[in-house]
Amino acid sequence: MLRTEEMILNVGPQHPSTHGVLRLVVKIDGEVIQEAEPVIGYLHRGTEKLAEDLTYTQIIPYTDRMDYLSAMTNNYAICHATEKLMGIEIPERAEFLRVIVMELNRVASHLVWLGTALLDIGAMSPFLYCFRDREKILDLFNELCGARITYNYMRVGGVKWDAPIGWLDKIKNFVEYMREKMKEYHGLIMGNEIFLQRTKGIGIVSHETALSYGLSGANLRCTGVKWDLRKHQPYSIYDRFKFEVPVGTRGDLYDKYVCRMQEINEALQIVDQAVEQFPEGGAIMAKVPRVLRVPEGEVYVGIESPRGELGCHIVSKGKDKPWRLKFRRPSFYNLQILPTMLKGQNIANLVAILGGIDIVLGEVDG
Amino acid sequence: MFGLLKGLGITLKNMAKPKVTYKYPHEPLKMPDRFRGIQHFDPEKCIVCNQCARICPTDCISLTGKKHPDPGKKGKIIDTYDINFEICILCDLCTEVCPTEAIIMTNNFELATYSRDQLFKNIDWLHENDQNIRQDNVSMKPKPGGSKA
Amino acid sequence: MSEQEKNASQEEKTGLPEVDQVGKNSVANEGVDKRQAEKKLDKDQDDSPKENKKEPSSEQVSNVDPKPTPKGPQPSVTGKSKPAATPRPRSKPKEEKEPLPPSPEEPILNQYVKIIREKIGNEAVEEFFINRANDHLPTLIIKKEAWEQVAKLARDHPDFSFNYMQSCSGVDYETHMEVVIHLCSLRRRKRVCFRVRTDRDRAKVPSLSHIWEAANWNEREIYDLLGIQFENHPKLERILMPDHWVGHPLRKDYVPLDKEV
Repeated sequence: MLRTEEMILNVGPQHPSTHGVLRLVVKIDGEVIQEAEPVIGYLHRGTEKLAEDLTYTQIIPYTDRMDYLSAMTNNYAICHATEKLMGIEIPERAEFLRVIVMELNRVASHLVWLGTALLDIGAMSPFLYCFRDREKILDLFNELCGARITYNYMRVGGVKWDAPIGWLDKIKNFVEYMREKMKEYHGLIMGNEIFLQRTKGIGIVSHETALSYGLSGANLRCTGVKWDLRKHQPYSIYDRFKFEVPVGTRGDLYDKYVCRMQEINEALQIVDQAVEQFPEGGAIMAKVPRVLRVPEGEVYVGIESPRGELGCHIVSKGKDKPWRLKFRRPSFYNLQILPTMLKGQNIANLVAILGGIDIVLGEVDG
Repeated sequence: MFGLLKGLGITLKNMAKPKVTYKYPHEPLKMPDRFRGIQHFDPEKCIVCNQCARICPTDCISLTGKKHPDPGKKGKIIDTYDINFEICILCDLCTEVCPTEAIIMTNNFELATYSRDQLFKNIDWLHENDQNIRQDNVSMKPKPGGSKA
Repeated sequence: MSEQEKNASQEEKTGLPEVDQVGKNSVANEGVDKRQAEKKLDKDQDDSPKENKKEPSSEQVSNVDPKPTPKGPQPSVTGKSKPAATPRPRSKPKEEKEPLPPSPEEPILNQYVKIIREKIGNEAVEEFFINRANDHLPTLIIKKEAWEQVAKLARDHPDFSFNYMQSCSGVDYETHMEVVIHLCSLRRRKRVCFRVRTDRDRAKVPSLSHIWEAANWNEREIYDLLGIQFENHPKLERILMPDHWVGHPLRKDYVPLDKEV
């Protein structure tokens, strides 16, 4: 036996595999991780504090910058919570536009995950393919709301822009294109022995642990828990669409991969149905007062963002600004389990496991 | 082993396909009409209602008005109008609330400079920024083309 | 004078949450008891039986209550929002007279309260109501001493089985601090909101991190941003702000380092 000794390894905060500014203090013995401690807060901008001095409309662009890979769902969370507290009904057309953009954003976000997670374990070409296809979604968003990442698209009571001419056709074409490409990804990755070896049986989480840690999204579903807020606590108009909730069985990295890939398929299916059922004409904004004075009260809504349950907790005291705004940020919850997952793993699996959780540091740090 | 070869096959197939990247700095990038770039400001249209400054989430707009030089006319005209692009996040809220479309977005997005001071743009600069102005500035309204086509 | 002040401060403590509820939704209070809603009592009357109900349980409340209740809603309004908020409590009771359909969650809420009172003690639940705006969310305000026990019960009791913590946040109400947790039962597909109050000066709440692991970082975040201490927390350190930071930014009396930013 080789004699090993403990040492402390610092990973990050500037490291390509931490997907942002995450720092990990890892205690290793030889190549085996004894202990890992995430250090976060490098990207803390105090969104919740800032929001206390902003009107509800002004908060929306700030939410774009939390989970910057799926700003549409963030927009939706704050708008949905405010609407619920004010009791505003959203025009149907706006709901459809919201669902279409949210699901497309889910696809885009998962594509980034797929590309970067595979890049972490050494596969270069899927990354390029993923970004090529994500670019198509960003172009569609750019055409719709004038920005590629920070959309600022939704408003309390509806959406800012109606779909431009021919936009829905482009969406339809994209869904077709993406379905074709999904087969390509499948062929590219699924049979790859290196990929299978790096992911199967790695980073296993039991469903009890996952629930206790409050994991959500694919991180929870890969352990076999069928829990999707779109299905089980329906919001918006998700109850009108047919889609499945993919679940895994073992809760390892491979299951996460399969879950997310199937989620892309399901998201495409929802987009397809939404475009099919898209209502003819109608308003895109409900009648809302110019100054949004939200009645006194408290509301918590959870929605399914690509990373899991994105919650928005508003405490209002009847002013035009929230008294307290709290976001339940899924990445923050999901990252918490990392020390448990890393314990006893080989150091080489660190980036693979971290990549599998799919965190966005803007969201972790708020 | 077969899996690896299959993956390689896909890579080879893609090699023959046309390029998807742009030669960006050498060829200008065309943005769609709704793109939110640097604002264009039209002093003629401004009625100094201050709404843009109030809605701005980052407080990057500062403006002052003065009395109309023609004593017969009521209201104010704009005197100074500055946007600090160090903190402007191009969120489009100022153009959304502007009742007269005095401030509108353009498709220009290149803001890089050598000094931070140069990011402080005044009324003249914003007025001269009149290329690629956004055509469609009426948001929150259904569009004829937005229906199922 | 000093006595009055004392009274006022006590009123604020007990009274403010009431307005909170009233404003919340015309309706929030109605969840207090079905019978009361049926009797269509006035706001003032509506309050007193509720307090009476609590009286046997908690001495503190009963000592203070008899005086403040008649004027409960008025003084409790904080200075700023007076013009807006004062008319509200008056108009709402009238609305309450309209037969509001009983909330579908009400039997469930009553059952929750019954179980908690049976298992832990009468005083464990301070208040309870249905948060109508939030999809009829049953909301229970728990006494601080029972916080941990209630959480454990909520996770393990088959009629609760709230095995998933949806959210955990802290709120500074200027008169007191509150920790709000939203729990969810995946099996029963039900949600519930538990709240616990604590003083502002020595804010201290038992930690729940051994019941739901999810509470661990959340409580650290609340400690970091609001300065609420969590007893028995395994590692109560700052998490988002730097370790040497002074103050807790989300507190309402926090003075920012640089006003401009």
